Amino acid sequence: MKINRSFIKTLLTVSVGLLACASSQAAEKLNIFCWSEYIPQSVVEKFQETTGIKVSVENYASNEEMLSKLSGGGSYDLIQPSEYTVEALIKADLLATLDSSAIPNLKNIGPKYLGLPFDPANKYSVPWMVGSVGIIVNTDKVKDDIKSFSDVFQPKFKKRIVVLDDARELVTAALSTLNINCNDITDENLAKARGVLKDWLPLVKVYDSDSPKTAMLNGDTDLGVVWSGEGALLQRENKKFKWVIPTGDSHQFVDNLCIPKKAPNKANAEKFINFILQPEISALISADFPYTNPNLEARKLLGDEALANTASFPPDQQAQKMILFKDVGKKASDIDALITDLRAE
Amino acid sequence: MDLTAIKSDDNVLKPRPQLAAWSILSPLFFWLLIFVVIPTALLVVASFCDRDGLGRIVYHSNTENYLRAIKSPYPEIVGRSVYFATITTVICLLVGYPVGYFIGRSTEKMRNILMMLVMVPFWTSFLIRTYAWISILAQDGLLNGFLLWANITSQPLHMLYTPGAVVLGLVYNYLPFMILPIYGSAEKLDNALVEAAYDLGAGPVRAFSNIIIPLTKPGIVAGIMLVFIPSLGMFAISGLMGGGSQQMIGDVIYKQFSGANNPPFGAALGTLLLIIFAIGLWFSNRKQVQ
Repeated sequence: MKINRSFIKTLLTVSVGLLACASSQAAEKLNIFCWSEYIPQSVVEKFQETTGIKVSVENYASNEEMLSKLSGGGSYDLIQPSEYTVEALIKADLLATLDSSAIPNLKNIGPKYLGLPFDPANKYSVPWMVGSVGIIVNTDKVKDDIKSFSDVFQPKFKKRIVVLDDARELVTAALSTLNINCNDITDENLAKARGVLKDWLPLVKVYDSDSPKTAMLNGDTDLGVVWSGEGALLQRENKKFKWVIPTGDSHQFVDNLCIPKKAPNKANAEKFINFILQPEISALISADFPYTNPNLEARKLLGDEALANTASFPPDQQAQKMILFKDVGKKASDIDALITDLRAE
Repeated sequence: MDLTAIKSDDNVLKPRPQLAAWSILSPLFFWLLIFVVIPTALLVVASFCDRDGLGRIVYHSNTENYLRAIKSPYPEIVGRSVYFATITTVICLLVGYPVGYFIGRSTEKMRNILMMLVMVPFWTSFLIRTYAWISILAQDGLLNGFLLWANITSQPLHMLYTPGAVVLGLVYNYLPFMILPIYGSAEKLDNALVEAAYDLGAGPVRAFSNIIIPLTKPGIVAGIMLVFIPSLGMFAISGLMGGGSQQMIGDVIYKQFSGANNPPFGAALGTLLLIIFAIGLWFSNRKQVQ
């Protein structure tokens, strides 16, 4: 008894309760739920200055994380789903239709990036950035000519690899080496992918979707399977980093701005969409996060060096081979279970 | 405890002590009900459910989640978590006991300064402190830079993204939780008893093991609990400092609610972990009673 009592007392002494006061209510608000490392703080501040709308930003590291928070009742005005997630959200009737008259700057987006299969009439989505998943190589440390995902995952590179902490991207890379379409997710194909990943994952040192460039910059890894924007940033930092678009299929993603059906401040979200579609603002985003900017007017403002970067702007011939993801429904959990199981082994 | 032992006497107007006890305890009961009982019940219910394509819980009773949870690799992940948590607790105890004891036996002025120093790291966010470790331990980081500069090593060491880095992160974050309760016990330790031990012929080792350890035991027990339990469920450190290849059970559970879109499975893992804790506590209590 004595032990218990002093134990509880100690617990009480140690625990410190902090009560945060609710911040005072601002008149106009906008709650953005977006990928980490994707919307520059400067752009958010400019928007606040111009419109007087108070913006709060919350981040996520995967589409699935965003889905689970959104469907768990999170109240957001603007989200940033990738193509297959837009498809899933439309199916589940969770997106609001956009008021096109409030977004006249949509005209700046290249026709190639509009009317894509996941939202043929752009009723629900406006493209934010386009990118792909490819390979980054530290050529100071790796002298081999890396061409494909299977070149990366060789036993001699054990514990020198960083990959995206994203189950679907990893399975896609494995399927690509097997020449299987990444949208053809069947039990049989997953079993085949498992065979490949079983050998690959023990070679991985770091799993990071937020900022895989950190491990490359710190010298902890020499090879990476990362987002193209991260690759472009690394190249900008140091010429020793080389971007490789893998032979075979790879994933091209189209990240979009969408408004959830239950958004409390829909009009403000539309204002934000229209705001970032201005060429000068969009060019600012490209400067910080050099993905493929679908805003053709903004591209005119980018320097030649930025436009020549193959991570940001892959040559057409290679871009054509890239594949958009389709929503795979409940199979998404099977994909994750596969990776979770293999990582634990 | 003692409250229930008081018997009501002849005076009927005197409020019944049981009632007084209950009314004093009622905030605690409500707190437990709202923040412990109800959430745990929801967790258990969810663990028997299914989910749809968007990861929303669908009420369709099944035991599939548990069947998956008890199969490899999940028991191994729990094992690894217990292993990391045990090493962390042992290191924290070895480092934290002398520190806590020393602070507890210092003069009051000194004590306040030392306590302050233990608490200072809490003024900064846990994540920022963890990121600071990343820049220290990275291959091109501060520590390797120093080691190479001082010619102590010729090759940079692999420190970040290793199991050792995970344990370091855990020890660093939980050490104060070991120091504080031990300090509390050491402060109350009656010096007369230690002196008596010496007078009766005990050497320093005997006095320490027979007098000081038993008298500071409440602090040790509390410290072990406060370090072991949270390190077992920790999730961010193994991702940030272990690179995600040293997953702990906390990471896997967190992942189910975020990236994996499978809250029912996460709930099943959480429930199993809860059961393991409950059994562990029950055993340790029984041992103490004996």
